[in-house]
Amino acid sequence: MPSLRCLDLTKDYPGTRALDGVSVSFESGQINALLGKNGSGKSTLVKCFAGAIQPTSGQMFLDGEQLDFSSPADANRRGIAIVYQEMSLVPSLSVTENIFLGRMPMKRGMVDWRSATAQARELLARMNADIDPNQLVSRLSMWQCQVVEITKAMSHSPSVLILDEPTSALASGEVERVFEVLRALRRQNVIIIYISHKLHEIPEIADTVAVLRDGRLVGHEKMKNLNNQDILHMMFGEMTHKTRPDDVKPGEDIVLSVRGLSRKGKFEDISFDLRSSEVLGIAGMLGSGRTELLKSLFGADPYDSGQIFVKSRPARRRPSPISMKKMGLGLTPEDRKKEGLILIHSIRDNLCYASIDQARRGWLENKKQRAALADSQVEQLHIKVASMRNTVNSLSGGNQQKVVVGNWLNTKPAIMLYDEPSRGIDVAAKQQIFEIMWEQARQGISTIFVSSELEELLETCHRILIMRQGRMIGEVDPQATDVKTLYALCMGGEA
Amino acid sequence: MNLRAMKDLSPKKVSDFLFDHVVEVILIILILVMGSVSRTFNTTANWLNIFRNMSMKGLIAFGMTMVIISGQIDLSIGSTVAISGVIVARACRDLPGAMGISVTLACVIGIVLSFLLAIIMGALHGYAQHKFGMPAFIITLASQNLLYGLAGILSGGFPIANTFPQWFTVLGTGKIGGISGFPVPALILFIFFVIMLFIIRYTTTGRAMYAIGGNQESARLSGINVLKTKIFAFASVQVMCVIAGFINAAQVLSGSYSFGRGWEVDVISAVVIGGTSMAGGIGKMWGTMVGVIFLGVIINSMTILNVSTYAQYVVRAIFMSIAVLVATYQARKKA
Repeated sequence: MPSLRCLDLTKDYPGTRALDGVSVSFESGQINALLGKNGSGKSTLVKCFAGAIQPTSGQMFLDGEQLDFSSPADANRRGIAIVYQEMSLVPSLSVTENIFLGRMPMKRGMVDWRSATAQARELLARMNADIDPNQLVSRLSMWQCQVVEITKAMSHSPSVLILDEPTSALASGEVERVFEVLRALRRQNVIIIYISHKLHEIPEIADTVAVLRDGRLVGHEKMKNLNNQDILHMMFGEMTHKTRPDDVKPGEDIVLSVRGLSRKGKFEDISFDLRSSEVLGIAGMLGSGRTELLKSLFGADPYDSGQIFVKSRPARRRPSPISMKKMGLGLTPEDRKKEGLILIHSIRDNLCYASIDQARRGWLENKKQRAALADSQVEQLHIKVASMRNTVNSLSGGNQQKVVVGNWLNTKPAIMLYDEPSRGIDVAAKQQIFEIMWEQARQGISTIFVSSELEELLETCHRILIMRQGRMIGEVDPQATDVKTLYALCMGGEA
Repeated sequence: MNLRAMKDLSPKKVSDFLFDHVVEVILIILILVMGSVSRTFNTTANWLNIFRNMSMKGLIAFGMTMVIISGQIDLSIGSTVAISGVIVARACRDLPGAMGISVTLACVIGIVLSFLLAIIMGALHGYAQHKFGMPAFIITLASQNLLYGLAGILSGGFPIANTFPQWFTVLGTGKIGGISGFPVPALILFIFFVIMLFIIRYTTTGRAMYAIGGNQESARLSGINVLKTKIFAFASVQVMCVIAGFINAAQVLSGSYSFGRGWEVDVISAVVIGGTSMAGGIGKMWGTMVGVIFLGVIINSMTILNVSTYAQYVVRAIFMSIAVLVATYQARKKA
């Protein structure tokens, strides 16, 4: 039976060991689930298999033959196909064209449409998928796009098919359609590795489960021998989380109240209160509506109904970032490069955009005050800069994130909204961001902290609200909750 | 370069400096070569001539710099030049008879109407681009046709000649300090250079232009008023077009729908030669001034050297390509 195996695989990055002596074997004819929380090393492992990165030490074998890839193209030639989360289809082309992108069958120097369509239809039929090959991809639903992605990968007849969270963008009804396709694939001679965050899907689709934690393989079992509790235990282990410093205490006054806030298709009937000096967490998985809620609170996106009160004053019916900034709100967006920073501009400029209306004399910029504001944040947030004139692009992820935070702290906000502030930054920088939140809380500033890293929320927050499928389904006390329970609440599976 | 930088002149620093100012370097070489080839080139009279000739496109280029830094473009500029001349010429011809007012008052009304139109067009461009997400390229291309058509209708398809009061023609042909003095159009160019430089460097609106051109979403989420800033930039270039239109009309003593056609090519070239990025967020008013002088020197040199009009276009194309190639290379190296 064909198998993909690795032996003592290790990958070091400066300062961290992403994979630590992983030995595991995946076989064909079954769906092998690969699980682990963020940063557990599962994507590093998959990238090694796909040739995107080279392991520091250890070996990989496919059907007993050793693999040594120097590029993703190498892995591709050897029959390892990977379907990433982000869709790579061209929406304006047909299904057929997407499947054979760059290698359309030719006849006498022209595209042989008849044969291309026939081949595409045949491939889709083998997937058990009812999709018209002549249809434009832009007209397909999300699950159909995902199936076309898989079909495209399968058209190379790979021996290994790696699926990176194929259901993360799908609605619950659509997931089953993709599963039907995967079950059809199981009968073909291909090794399927299935990465997922959605715990409740695993029993339905997986035959074996391999779990990584902190770069090590903690278990590899047949699904039928496991229950949800076992998997949660493997993923998180017995760990106690650190807590925030004791002197950070929420005050009495309510600074923000949200009543029945709804935005069609994004979130529904959200109500909560935020107190002064409080660090309030919002837990939820991708697509739970947490980012959308934050954006609507900040006036960056509209909402349909409900009301927002800042210090008992109602916000405008159609708020904008400009009006919300005036009411004392600040937001560090989810994607700091696309929404938080102007990468081609200097560090000083990036620290002073939100406060552009504070550092002015009438029409004119107050250059002195600007420089002072920028310098104060560099000092206060410990941003490491060679020169304030360098572009913000030249900074590390952690320092970039601090620039985004500093940009807002310069507006002297009363309420800071943080959307995934710790994404893609190292452990030390994460800790510094939390320290900043606490320090601001000591000065009376309230914080709403959205994250999919649940340990972080437990560590930093006074209270955690839980969002699932656009609804607020509950509230937990971080002191009395462990990460497994919180995870289960967010996922909707039974703990 | 300040004195401290002069003290530690390492070869690396000198080469970096030259590389950063390569367009200026090419321009200086061009001037030196022309000076040695032609006796008339490096005379005060010729230089004043160069500035007078470039004054109209230069003015528009300053406005265009703001628009391009904001990540937008305005292709309607030529038609605004035409219509502003036509409006004033028509006002001066018809209003005194129709309303029983003096030619001076009629001319002032024409001027005010032209500025109003410029501001309305700028607001329209900014609003349509921002609210409906229409590409500025298309909106302003439509405006180009609209204003061209309106100018044609207003003028009845013919130039409206010899209607201006004497003081208006000073804008185009006047000189300060006698017959060989400083041309008024060149003076206007320098005054607006200082004003536009000041706006883009020292006001919060100038800063906001760089921000929205650099990354509109980040600017919006920083609570910067994107719509207001865009309207300001679009209106600025239109106002510059109107002033250029007055100078043009005053020089040829008439208003015609055919003025200003194709000017967008030279104007945008000057801005880009000056190092402003077509992608937005990066650029300098001083650079645009250099670009304007660069174009002026090339055109002037070829006229002195008696190069035929058609060959002039070929040479201009070559120089422009080189300058833009260099600017693009610089930008890529810095990124």
